[in-house]
Amino acid sequence: MEDKEFDRLLKISRIKLSEEEKQRIQNDIEGILRYFDSVDKFNEAKIKPAFHPIRIEGHPRGDKIEKFEDKDSLLSNTKTYRGFIIGPRI
Amino acid sequence: MKIGLEIHVALPTKSKLFCGCSTEQVDTPNINICPICMGFPGSKPSLNEEAIILAKSIANILNCKIRDKISFVRKVYFYPDLPKSFQITQLQESIGYEGLIIIDKGKRINIRRIQIEEDPAKIIRSEEYSLLDFNRSGIPLVEIVTEPDITSEEELTSFIFTLKARLYYLGIDIDREIKADLNISLGKERVEVKNVTGTKNLLEAARYEIERQTELISRGIEPTKETRSYDEKERKTKASREKESDEEYGYIYEPDLPEYNIKNYSIRENVDPIEKAKELAEKHAYNPKIILEAIAFDRYALDLIERNEEKYNFNSLMQAIMEIKRFKIDNIDDLSLKMLLEEIEGGFQIDKDTISSIIKHEKVKHSDFSQEGIDNGIREFIEKNPDILRRYIKNKKLADYVAGEIIKRYKAKPKEVLKRTIEILNSMTGQK
Amino acid sequence: MSSYIEEFESKVKPKDYYDRLYDELVRLNPRLNAFNALIKPDKNGIPLSVKDNICVKGIEATASSKILKGYIPPFNATVVERVLKTKRFSIIGKTNMDEFGFGSFGINCEKPAKNPLDEERVAGGSSSGAAIATALLKYHVAIAESTGGSISAPAAFCGVVGFTPTYSVISRYGLIDYANSLDKIGFMARSADDIRVMLDITKGKDNRDSTSTDSKIVGLHHKKLVIIDELIDKVDEKIRSQFFEFVEKLKNLGYTVKNINLNEIDLSIPAYYLIAMAEASTNLAKFTGFKYGFKLNDFSKNYNEFFAEAREEFGTEAKRRVILGTFIRSASVKDKYYSKALIIRKELIDKLSKVLKDAFLISPTMPIMPPKISEANSMSPVQNYATDILTIPPNLCGLPHISFPYSYSNGLPLSAQIVGSQFNDYGVISFVSEWEKNFEYKFKYNIGEI
Repeated sequence: MEDKEFDRLLKISRIKLSEEEKQRIQNDIEGILRYFDSVDKFNEAKIKPAFHPIRIEGHPRGDKIEKFEDKDSLLSNTKTYRGFIIGPRI
Repeated sequence: MKIGLEIHVALPTKSKLFCGCSTEQVDTPNINICPICMGFPGSKPSLNEEAIILAKSIANILNCKIRDKISFVRKVYFYPDLPKSFQITQLQESIGYEGLIIIDKGKRINIRRIQIEEDPAKIIRSEEYSLLDFNRSGIPLVEIVTEPDITSEEELTSFIFTLKARLYYLGIDIDREIKADLNISLGKERVEVKNVTGTKNLLEAARYEIERQTELISRGIEPTKETRSYDEKERKTKASREKESDEEYGYIYEPDLPEYNIKNYSIRENVDPIEKAKELAEKHAYNPKIILEAIAFDRYALDLIERNEEKYNFNSLMQAIMEIKRFKIDNIDDLSLKMLLEEIEGGFQIDKDTISSIIKHEKVKHSDFSQEGIDNGIREFIEKNPDILRRYIKNKKLADYVAGEIIKRYKAKPKEVLKRTIEILNSMTGQK
Repeated sequence: MSSYIEEFESKVKPKDYYDRLYDELVRLNPRLNAFNALIKPDKNGIPLSVKDNICVKGIEATASSKILKGYIPPFNATVVERVLKTKRFSIIGKTNMDEFGFGSFGINCEKPAKNPLDEERVAGGSSSGAAIATALLKYHVAIAESTGGSISAPAAFCGVVGFTPTYSVISRYGLIDYANSLDKIGFMARSADDIRVMLDITKGKDNRDSTSTDSKIVGLHHKKLVIIDELIDKVDEKIRSQFFEFVEKLKNLGYTVKNINLNEIDLSIPAYYLIAMAEASTNLAKFTGFKYGFKLNDFSKNYNEFFAEAREEFGTEAKRRVILGTFIRSASVKDKYYSKALIIRKELIDKLSKVLKDAFLISPTMPIMPPKISEANSMSPVQNYATDILTIPPNLCGLPHISFPYSYSNGLPLSAQIVGSQFNDYGVISFVSEWEKNFEYKFKYNIGEI
């Protein structure tokens, strides 16, 4: 994988790496991808993909309001200001 | 000119798309929240069936092909208002595709697809940080994607009006801001104006962008392919700050949700106000535009018309509807309506007092001024304002003003008062 | 021994039972790193440990990641709720694991876990702490979790019973996700009967988990066993010979054994990792340093810088998988990797379900003996992934499977794994119940003995 492409991946996944980590991981990834390339051997076009290992029938829920009682426990995990949750600027 | 839209419409469900939190609009931030719509680790989505029914109904209105089975995907991108850093939305297996809507003058706008997705949180920008309100996070949305078939500002206006009028009858609250991305190309490249809220801004953004691109082309410059945003205060589109082209959404199938068979979900019965207006207009030889304006966003008005169109003269009925709207009457019973129509057909002026009487089922007080009384009233007024005679000679329209004042004061029949006013003014100024 | 749960409930506990249990674990834990948190229970139930990626309301859940330090879940995972509802259990702690489940040895975390049978060796992962706790405590069950073998591997290395149910049988609501189409909550215990009790309590549809089902779970105890040659070939010579001795014993118990070829089985590892990493990279995207867990207090940075800096709290393996997973999901290679993997999964499910219609799959659980921690640290990622060869196929295909010791060698356990067809969960448990009738478990520790 080219450096440029690797850097782009880091940017997209919001991951920062030290120079040393970068070297190591970029290397690792090349090895792992070569290992993954073996799936190309499999060439059955007619088989449908299995998004889950079993067949699941979806059953949506009825449109009912269910209040989450303990809101404080949600907000206590983070910083707030006048009821708003504080996040980084955009 | 090619204009396409991606419009996001909030669905009027009681609870959110993937959790049981209320969708009610409240002033206090972070009230209707839970681990799911806040994206807490360990939480999982649970699909609301009402969202399916409404989305299916919208797809039906837009003459889309509707899939028997739907599923969802994860669209991954990082932004403070996106709690899981991915949005659960639809891609290939979206609920509706290949539809169309007919706007003014029979113009056909094709619909590429409609999809169900969740709203991110509300974000308030500040210099130093973002302030986030998760009340909005998880609200069910339908995204409507059109083909770039709109070719003028007029068509854009008509499209928005038509869409909103159809959606209104599904219970979709037009006061809850519609959010849209606008794709406009006057040249070869497409310019995207993202996140425009509300109809007014949408039309202004389009107007500005059309001007901007036209100006560039007139100077021999091709508008570049780019993403822009709309600045409400300055009423301009501006080049976007974020380099969105670098973001890669990396879609995968949403593994916390199965496939849903929606074949047996019923579609909500729906009224097409444009068709209705045409029908009524033809039936009663009336102007369809006026009927449409009355009923496009007023279910109650349509109901009143349909219940009473055989009982009363249609012109009078329509006038009554205008008065009901003018005086913001929420609910009018049959007797009150009858009384109102009597007033209208009697040629009487309708004012606050008239309305208050008919609501209470009390006899409406009319001026029992005789012809003489009115004449005296007119003469008195002219005496107090002698200037009028001179001005009347120059501008006959002043008669309306004078008549208006008399009508107000004496609650007399408008037509008659005007007639007498003109007669008196003419005689006093020696005119015919 | 049938059920330690029943035995515990029938005994009278001394007044300071739980205090002494707690003290003993506090003493041992720094050496073994089995627990991320130890709790003094105030109820008189059977000691229960919960893997630290499963939410217990009010108790820190970190999934052994620095980025979740301080996260206090505001709700119980469904599995925890169902267990607590019986009022028969007392939570004694959150068990250590590989960060987010990324590992087969229990060493990808701040405090690497040690095998209680030989502290220089790995305990196995990713449910390392659950296995250690089960190997330490006489009366105890562990709630654990498996994505690619994270219950089987540590159970095998620590010599306890580790059960992974059919995908969808136990609700995943409240599980901090690694890969949603592969994660399953399961259990570890010292007997198959205890596993059965836990399955009874926790199985069944949960409205909060849209992938959970109420499909009927059966208990077909087949007498036919199948060995897949491609898999057995990858097992260490020494283990293979002992395993075949075990198989002979089974024949004497009336089982028939058949060898088959399944050459696509080799594709199960790359297919598994492709799906797992793709899904994991999306699951880890929510950790951005301000809503829960680790909070970066530097608001001078704009959101992109802020997020990247906060995500430095991820360990190396987590970073590796996020980067790879993101790559796998990118439009240019999606068809090549991710889509292919999904097709391979379908093919393997179809092929294996045919084989398992009237048989169990049997193999050693792991192809190697528990390596020394220093050896494990020097293995390359691909070498690491390859050790999952025996546990990945049932995990990829959502098949119920169970690992249990069948022998001991130089103080270390030798474990085998039985795999059943989808929803034959009670079937694989029955197999071990029967095996246990004539097998004597050897445990080095019996903390909490009464």
